[in-house]
Amino acid sequence: MDCKAARELVPLYFDGELDRATARELEAHLDDCAECRDALVALDALRRALREDAPRHAAPRELRAQVEAELGQHRRRTPRRVPRPWLALAASTALAFLAGGGAVLLWQQQAAPPIAHDLFESHWRALAAASPVDVVSTDRHTVKPWFAGKLADAPLVQDFAEQGFALVGGRLDYAGSERVAVLVYRHGQHLIDVFVLPASVGAAPSASLRDGYALDPVSLGGRPAAMVSDMDATERARFGALLAAAR
Amino acid sequence: MPWAQRMSTLTPSQNLVGDLALRHLDAAYNLGRWLLGNDADASDAVHDAFVRATRAADTYAGGNARAWWLAIVRNCCLARLAMRRRERADVAIDQVEGAKGRDAVDALLSGGDADDAERALETAQRRALFARHVAGLPIEFREVLLLREIEEFSYREIADLLQLPIGTVMSRLSRARALLQAALGAATREEVKHGL
Repeated sequence: MDCKAARELVPLYFDGELDRATARELEAHLDDCAECRDALVALDALRRALREDAPRHAAPRELRAQVEAELGQHRRRTPRRVPRPWLALAASTALAFLAGGGAVLLWQQQAAPPIAHDLFESHWRALAAASPVDVVSTDRHTVKPWFAGKLADAPLVQDFAEQGFALVGGRLDYAGSERVAVLVYRHGQHLIDVFVLPASVGAAPSASLRDGYALDPVSLGGRPAAMVSDMDATERARFGALLAAAR
Repeated sequence: MPWAQRMSTLTPSQNLVGDLALRHLDAAYNLGRWLLGNDADASDAVHDAFVRATRAADTYAGGNARAWWLAIVRNCCLARLAMRRRERADVAIDQVEGAKGRDAVDALLSGGDADDAERALETAQRRALFARHVAGLPIEFREVLLLREIEEFSYREIADLLQLPIGTVMSRLSRARALLQAALGAATREEVKHGL
């Protein structure tokens, strides 16, 4: 691959839009070409600046209050007993039924096992709550003992602030009828939940997507866990690798 | 207000759309704020979008729900922008931003030692400058850049959201990045020249 072709592909590679084979070819070129590497670094610097330096405008309280009032959503303060994804699932079932055989594959992708629903629900509930954590700490020496008092098997807690994934704290939630530890991390504007799955939960949920949020099965230093976030695929893979290497 | 009365009998799909809008209200507002340049218009546009989305709830045909919602927000922003142009109400894009930047600087300067204050000032200045450069991009480049870098949509999702060919999305994104890099490069050279 020559520089001219490579330079065209660098943004696509950076945005995760290249197929695997072309990405490999480009990576081979990047190994030898400092100029094309610089182009990649410049894209990353720009993204970092946009995410960290450009102001992120949160919806004003009045606007949120107005929308909530119009929805009659005072119920939001107490989490509803019927989780939202079940309604979505019901809708997609109806859709699959109407559309016939062709839609079955789609339906199977949507119909993640119940535990996945619980994890998505937990993540969304935490995002809507005043605080996503029960114990606030950037210090793993506080988080781990907090779990130790509440779970038979306290999870491995490690901060990855230096790698850009800062530990925010922890909380407890339920997957099915099991108590699970949730480690909460922040990456830029993203909040990441890492659910440490007890053996009794059974098989780890497979990767699934819902409304722009992704669930990925990960390993937390060898223990099965699941991560829910709205990061893009590259960042999820990077954080997944950090978690797997946790000691 | 008839709207408020109608809300008491929400259909399930309207409830889902309402939840969706609430869950992504910050994203909607951020997009509106960057497209319109001031708080009042952004709030109004997001509220328009919420009303429109709940009315159109039954027309949602699957796919990325967040993209569907933000497409409505974006269309309401463009409608508001067109209205504003007609009214010739010129609101300086960075009017509010400039004031906010100064407030931030003042707040940071009031306490801490001189080194801290200097660092804080530099950060605040850098951020204000950066925000100005982003706000100064032509809107068709700005929206593609925000949807990719902040909202993290794929090229395909952006193309669907903006009803554009995917090639146009790619060229606008590349142009937006080049413009912003050039602006930032010029700003950095300027600082070096003045020994800052």
